[in-house]
Amino acid sequence: MDVKERDAVDTSSPMLRISGLNKRFGRARILRDVSLSVAQGSVVALLGANGAGKTSTLKCILGVMPFEGDIEVGGASVRKNGKEARRRIGYVPQAPPLSERDTCREALSFLAELKGATKGRVGEMLELVSLAPQTDTRVGHLSGGMRQRLALAAALLADPPLLLLDEPTASLDVESRHEFHGLIARLRGEGKTIVLSTHVFTQLDQLADRALILDEGQLAFDGTLDELAGRSHARRFVVSLNGNSSQVVEALRAAGLDPSELHPEPVEARWEDVLASLPKRQPEPAAEEGP
Amino acid sequence: MKAVATVARKEIRDALNSMWLLLYASLFTVLALGLSYLGERNLGSVGFENFSRTTASLLNLCLLLAPLVALSLGAGSIAGERDRGALTYLLSQPLSRSELLLGKFAGLCASIALATVAGFGVAGAVIAMFATSLNVGTYLLFVVLVLGLIAVMTGLGLIASVVSETRVQALGLAVLIWFIAVFVFDLLLIGTVSATSLGGGGLMLALLLNPVEIVRVLAIIHLEPDLQILGPFGSYLMERLGVGGATAILTAALVTWIAFPVTLAAWLFEGRDP
Repeated sequence: MDVKERDAVDTSSPMLRISGLNKRFGRARILRDVSLSVAQGSVVALLGANGAGKTSTLKCILGVMPFEGDIEVGGASVRKNGKEARRRIGYVPQAPPLSERDTCREALSFLAELKGATKGRVGEMLELVSLAPQTDTRVGHLSGGMRQRLALAAALLADPPLLLLDEPTASLDVESRHEFHGLIARLRGEGKTIVLSTHVFTQLDQLADRALILDEGQLAFDGTLDELAGRSHARRFVVSLNGNSSQVVEALRAAGLDPSELHPEPVEARWEDVLASLPKRQPEPAAEEGP
Repeated sequence: MKAVATVARKEIRDALNSMWLLLYASLFTVLALGLSYLGERNLGSVGFENFSRTTASLLNLCLLLAPLVALSLGAGSIAGERDRGALTYLLSQPLSRSELLLGKFAGLCASIALATVAGFGVAGAVIAMFATSLNVGTYLLFVVLVLGLIAVMTGLGLIASVVSETRVQALGLAVLIWFIAVFVFDLLLIGTVSATSLGGGGLMLALLLNPVEIVRVLAIIHLEPDLQILGPFGSYLMERLGVGGATAILTAALVTWIAFPVTLAAWLFEGRDP
């Protein structure tokens, strides 16, 4: 394949198109007929409880596991031209498994070579994620937040049009999470197409244009975050209290609200509330098993 | 091919950064020197043997140790990446599974070869300074044969790595392969020959099934060209095939053994979830 063909991304079609995606592990159906498309330049939150199929969906998009159905990335079929499709994707896993002995420069140089990126991009990307001072620091000596930023730098080496972020902030503290979200917002501003898999709602409204919810391997919701919020029966508000909270609680009660649960940490919307607010699926016919 | 070279270079760099390569090279050097020195003492004088005797002494030791090292490292490669969650990440890069596997294979073979050549090189240099006679060609041929065996066993280790769920499982499988190739095969062959009327031709075919035996016989052919050490089987080889014919068949079998496991490992790797 020549460079022209390799670099040509079909700009008229969605950046990501999935149709009839099914995935089984043995007899278990992990993904059931998932179809969706993601427009270029949009940021989509892929939501779902743990085990809903988010990571499996991302692995299918990456073409690292066999699947049934069709997936195209920028017009390149993952099944027929997996290498080309992956060239258009930057992937950040929840726990980036970069070699602990490598320095940041070595880790990125190896990946840059695989991705066909120039060596100059290594320094640029370390600068972008504010890790330039750690260029010669071993990966094993980095904090969790720094590793995650390093993985983002790795994902951006070849300037891919699509970013797949799999629970990138799940194991980070609040400060690191905010830093990472700031980077995502910046990339969003630069026009990257981003699929952000997560099971938490914090700051999603600031990051994503659209939400997709997976429930037991099926696409249960596809719409804007406002639409999702409008459907929820159980609206929750997070109130940060300083000092004696009893007066605030009384005031809330007087206003007809029920501050029944007080948490020392911000309260996340609960998955059971969100899923209960979505339209019920038709019962699935029994899965056909092969001989 | 660029991706294969990139992965291979990374594999070599990782190997150079780890202790095992140094340990392995040191062990080979010490054993090569020690065996040569002790062999001479047993013959009644103190000093270093010549290359041929050293080579003969090292033969059995290498046929035990080199396959174990190669099998273990091959088995740990893909399964090790899977264990630490790195396999999906590697496969998410723009490279095919075959390229990743071939890169690992090339890198591991080069790393082990580097350690082996370094170990034998130091031993060879020291022996050359003190030995009474020189047969460098045989010594070098022996090193090449050991490298061939390392490539075979690395490929078999990769098969174990690809079909196993965990690194521990892969290492267990690798040790089983090593045990069968190095110990059980010989016993089975002896039993079969005793129980049946397996002739020279049958024995030759059976021998081709085990790369360790192929390398052993190839080494012996060039250490002791009259093949008396192989007994009746040696006579059969000399009469039917001659040194040239036997060498050609055994070399072809060894090359096949190098290509087959890594090809099979790549094929098995294609359809598996990471």
